[in-house]
Amino acid sequence: MDSQVDNLIWKLRRRQIVGSRLTAIETLLVLRQYITKAKFTTIDQLIQKIKGIGARLVAAQPTEPVVGNIVRKVLHHIREEYKTAANKPGSSIQSSAFSLRNFVVSGQPRHQATLQKTEARDHLLRSRSDWHHDNHAESLKPVIMEAIQDIFDELETVYESVSKSAKDHIHSDEIILTIGKSRTVESFLKAAAHTRKFTVIVAETAPSYGGKSTAKALASAGISTFLVPDSSIYALMSRVNKVILGAHAVLAQGGIFAVSGSLMVATAARAHSTPVVVCTGQFKLTPLWNLNNEYGSADIENPDAVLGFDEGSLVDKVDVVNPYYDYVKPELIDVLITNDGDHPPSSVYRLIKEAYDDADHEL
Amino acid sequence: MSPRLAPPSAVAAQTISESSPIASPPFDIIAAYRRILNDDSISMPVAAILALVELIEFSTAGTTFELVQALTDGAEQLKSRTPNSISLSAGVELFVAFVTLFPHESDSFDDLKAELVSEGRKYAQEAQTYRAKIAEFTFKFIKDNAVILTHSYSRVVMHALLHAHKHKRISVYVTEARPRGLGIKTCEALTALGVPCTVVLDSAVAYLMDKVDVVLVGSEAVVESGGLINAVGSYQLAIIAKAHHKPFYALAESYKFHRLFPLSQYDLPTHTPNILSFPRAPASSSAPGLGSPSASYTAALAAAAPPPTPARGLSSTNLGHPPPASASMTSDQLARNPEVDYTRPDLITLVFSDVGILTPSGVSQYLVGMFAG
Repeated sequence: MDSQVDNLIWKLRRRQIVGSRLTAIETLLVLRQYITKAKFTTIDQLIQKIKGIGARLVAAQPTEPVVGNIVRKVLHHIREEYKTAANKPGSSIQSSAFSLRNFVVSGQPRHQATLQKTEARDHLLRSRSDWHHDNHAESLKPVIMEAIQDIFDELETVYESVSKSAKDHIHSDEIILTIGKSRTVESFLKAAAHTRKFTVIVAETAPSYGGKSTAKALASAGISTFLVPDSSIYALMSRVNKVILGAHAVLAQGGIFAVSGSLMVATAARAHSTPVVVCTGQFKLTPLWNLNNEYGSADIENPDAVLGFDEGSLVDKVDVVNPYYDYVKPELIDVLITNDGDHPPSSVYRLIKEAYDDADHEL
Repeated sequence: MSPRLAPPSAVAAQTISESSPIASPPFDIIAAYRRILNDDSISMPVAAILALVELIEFSTAGTTFELVQALTDGAEQLKSRTPNSISLSAGVELFVAFVTLFPHESDSFDDLKAELVSEGRKYAQEAQTYRAKIAEFTFKFIKDNAVILTHSYSRVVMHALLHAHKHKRISVYVTEARPRGLGIKTCEALTALGVPCTVVLDSAVAYLMDKVDVVLVGSEAVVESGGLINAVGSYQLAIIAKAHHKPFYALAESYKFHRLFPLSQYDLPTHTPNILSFPRAPASSSAPGLGSPSASYTAALAAAAPPPTPARGLSSTNLGHPPPASASMTSDQLARNPEVDYTRPDLITLVFSDVGILTPSGVSQYLVGMFAG
């Protein structure tokens, strides 16, 4: 069982898994295996074990926040299932846990109906009391498995769910600009192409040239596509109706990590008052803050693509950096289209609060 | 009024005591509040809550309605005697709402009161830990070698700065924050603890802003719009920070969330007609504006005028000497100036609170949960 986890850790370390969704699915598979075989007497034990695994996985590949997100999601579901299960008659419920602190954090008592009992449950959890239910904790396994299956279904259907509203967001004869290679954006645009006729300008996204494969994929789907160099983005922006970006991760402020070049696109769009739309799955919401409030790349690529060794005379005189991601701040983004609906960047922190538990932010 | 009470002492009935008529001596909430405030680490809203808790202890109200009445009266008393009462009213409103909504299964009202008292005290205890929590949140956002700008004196900002100082290198600029000059107090405290610190003129903030990495301010209250009420000068700092694209962080404990929604500076409860008014010329026998002002008018004007700016280097004896001390405002002029101002939410980057790191619009979520619906 641990070997599965180790396997995944090595795969992550060697970057043998590419793509956020695939990474998420692999992580979820390993966690599911682990929980099926796990032995625990209290839910607290299970949670601590999963947290431990999560910490190791995140440490193996910190540039891929999706790993941590999936772990947090699983923990959140476990806690929820536990609360619902214990919220049955016959289980001891603490009376009023309504304190001034709860009042501030959770609001008025009648809105706290479930939350009151949750506080009681948390108290019980933390006290690790000999709560007579050895079998009770393990009996939650099937429920937890169901919850994990739900997460699976969500991950499998991410592209379809995000593309559901595509035809409402893209109108006929519009000119859309996109950059980089994002499967979510591709499926979004392809879904819209079924009912609308529009044009897409794809920036080639040097030096990884992900834009080229996007252009090919879109063109083969019958969408009128233009492939342009990155330097012409600003010049073309006045003709563009919408900008659609993919994201590597969505941070708690509402900003995103996206492929290098996205910041340029978003800034150009802001200068022309062009709406910037980000298509992303809910599993990319990360409870991390971009702490230094400035440009920072989450990952650096091989500088060979920028300045290769064939330019031998230059190579030792020049420092070459090839950042792979940009940080696009929330003020530059207009809306995030997720499989859970459309949200403005200012409410991302609330989505995160609902999706994950505060205790899990630091794994 | 509870029927079992028969006030023998007329004195007790006369005093504006919010407690029961037979209490002797009547509960003096102002004295209790002042006594609690002697502890420097307790902030105004928490002290107000503790004073109200003591009021509950003394009260012989028989129903929740009476109790809430008594609490509201006590709160009014506190507000009327405190010059700058916004943070106080935030804490008070929170506690009164809590009392009103407190669900109780206990049979006797005295039990309920005892519960309320213990809840209030428990909260005040917990509230002492909020500054540490906020310092933890802020710590992550301060880089090593950061240059921080802050305004006036705020305990929560001090806490955050000292916490950061333990693990990172920081240097701090603090504005003087006239007229109270609390910035100087901040600088002294920080320097004593080894943090490099300089006081800057309020008017030098724009000059300074390019050197600053992050702006941190405390708060009197964070209002429902997500804006900030703080010592006058904070709005200025926020505008200049925005113009220079520097992050502006507000540090506020959750008991400072206030239900106000000011639409402008002049919507604040602290704004009186006297503020920013023009002084009226003193009354003279001849009507002004007739061409030749009377002698008493000019004399009075001269008396009311600020002392003339000292001659700078004009006489030969003054050449090369530093200019003499600058003129300062009279207390009458100071009274025409505001003590707090309102910073718009679009100028604030993030609000750090014990409930978490919030965007300014996130504050209203908590306020709505408590007071609306």
